[in-house]
Amino acid sequence: MDRVLKARLEARLADHLARPIRQRHDQTEIRIRPADLLEVMRALHDDPDLDFAIIADLAGVDTGTTMQVVYHLWSATTPDWLRVIAEGMPREDPRIPSLTGLWPGAEWMERETYDMFGIIFEGNRDLRRIYMPPDYASFPLRKDFYLPDDAARSPGGGARHVEQPNAPVVTSPRAPRRTVRA
Amino acid sequence: MTAPAGVDHHASEDDPRIMLDGQIGQYEQVPPYPPRTEREAEFYSLRDGEMFLNMGPQHPSTHGVLRIVLKINGENVVDLDPVLGYLHRGVEKLCENSDYHHIISQLDPLEYVSSLFMEWAPVMSFEKLLDVQVPRRAEYIRVLSGELLRVASHVLFQGWMALDLGGLAPILYSFIERDEIVEMLAALTGQRMLFNYFRIGGVNGDLNHEFMSRLGDWMSRALVQHEANIGLLNENEIFIRRMRDIGRLDAETAKRMGVTGPNIRAAGVPFDVRRAHPYSVYPELEFDIPVRGAGPLGGDSLDRYLLRLDEVRQSIRIIDQCLHQMPDGPVMARLPRLLRPRPGRAWAAVESPRGLFGTYAISDGTDQPFRLKIHDPSFVNMQLVGLLMKNNLIADTMAVMASLDPVMGGIDK
Repeated sequence: MDRVLKARLEARLADHLARPIRQRHDQTEIRIRPADLLEVMRALHDDPDLDFAIIADLAGVDTGTTMQVVYHLWSATTPDWLRVIAEGMPREDPRIPSLTGLWPGAEWMERETYDMFGIIFEGNRDLRRIYMPPDYASFPLRKDFYLPDDAARSPGGGARHVEQPNAPVVTSPRAPRRTVRA
Repeated sequence: MTAPAGVDHHASEDDPRIMLDGQIGQYEQVPPYPPRTEREAEFYSLRDGEMFLNMGPQHPSTHGVLRIVLKINGENVVDLDPVLGYLHRGVEKLCENSDYHHIISQLDPLEYVSSLFMEWAPVMSFEKLLDVQVPRRAEYIRVLSGELLRVASHVLFQGWMALDLGGLAPILYSFIERDEIVEMLAALTGQRMLFNYFRIGGVNGDLNHEFMSRLGDWMSRALVQHEANIGLLNENEIFIRRMRDIGRLDAETAKRMGVTGPNIRAAGVPFDVRRAHPYSVYPELEFDIPVRGAGPLGGDSLDRYLLRLDEVRQSIRIIDQCLHQMPDGPVMARLPRLLRPRPGRAWAAVESPRGLFGTYAISDGTDQPFRLKIHDPSFVNMQLVGLLMKNNLIADTMAVMASLDPVMGGIDK
């Protein structure tokens, strides 16, 4: 837990933090709104006191109620990993600016996240599916996408087929869709 | 082919042309649908003198099942479009539906060449979720077995590299070396390839006599053997000339492209997770981070190849220290059999032979993770082929690709 980093982040990004900074083990976590993403990332990358030069990971998360995109960054100025969570995107139409202007290497990570969650990265010039076939219609890592053999969780004892993007979401008390507190 | 007069080809069932009736290729170079993105439209439009060439997914030098559509002008590669997904098995979804212990074996086959590292990262992130303290002896055993596997992986890379450039002999020597290490680890873990050895809170078993005697035997001549293997290749004029000045990557581009592992260190950036963000007992061990290609032009394929050989020496140094400093004690922390971490998030990353391998786990309080994101270094490094292969000859594309050392199991997840 790097207290200095926390103080620096609070001073530099005060207007953009959606929630207080959290620290645990070797990780510092900040939460921002998707609209502020580019501004925050530029500050983290360009500010010589922060200098987050390397993007370690980009992950999509479906909390069951909203969508998030989570970035992990590394800098030589701190012993912590920095986790940036862009939170609160609606599940129906999740959109977030692309980071390919800053890190061109984020292109495939964003393609993967689009493929698995359907999150649209505005500004990524090659946003097509990367693993699944081009005519595939579902987003497999969303929480309402049940595996056919996942009998314990799916309503109807696992009978629901995976490729039914427009089927109504069944919410019975016996088998609720898994959610996590965002 | 013109048929000899008087022979009716379609009368015979052995005629190859009967087999060719109808659709010939399964993999069409130009997609049968309108382009979906700006980039796709740009790539799949040909200018004068250009044509497409399909490479893979069964091409032997694509290290598995990668397919690359090359746009070529004569022998020159103008542009290329890698197509992934032939090995995709949805590991992240599987992990969301398996309990914490089961995940270790789910992740093993990702990078089948160095699978202990695929166990290390998730195990570390679950330990952070559970606030477990791993016994020091277990940490030393993890480092010891991990570094052994790093040697095996880099040695195999050396042979692969030669194989992709047309040299058949070195891969045989690589496999001799790798086989010794793999047999050694089989004595320790019970498996030759997918070890399933690390556990949340420690490792599956303590060091045993067979492992130690094999290790001692190997250590007595590891460096000598390594030098001999190097001599087999590094003095080969053809081998060197085919890699020098091919696929140059400079430090700034490497950082922007998210590259990690030997590929970024061969571009002059000393980024190694073992030192950049120390984990396990690496702070207690002495080793250097080899860096090459620190000039303004960056490193080429040869630098990436030589850097891995430097790393083998450092790994042998680490193994030697592990053996001398190995503490006594238990190899597992005391944990309940059914793990239900409190809700939370944890990220952990290790330095695999291919770069930063990380996992990001979210717990919702049940015995299965709510989400497990796997960050594979080969996947990100693979983006470089688009950058480095351009304006090279088709024959040189493989010198570039092999020097990045990708493993398709990890790329496709």
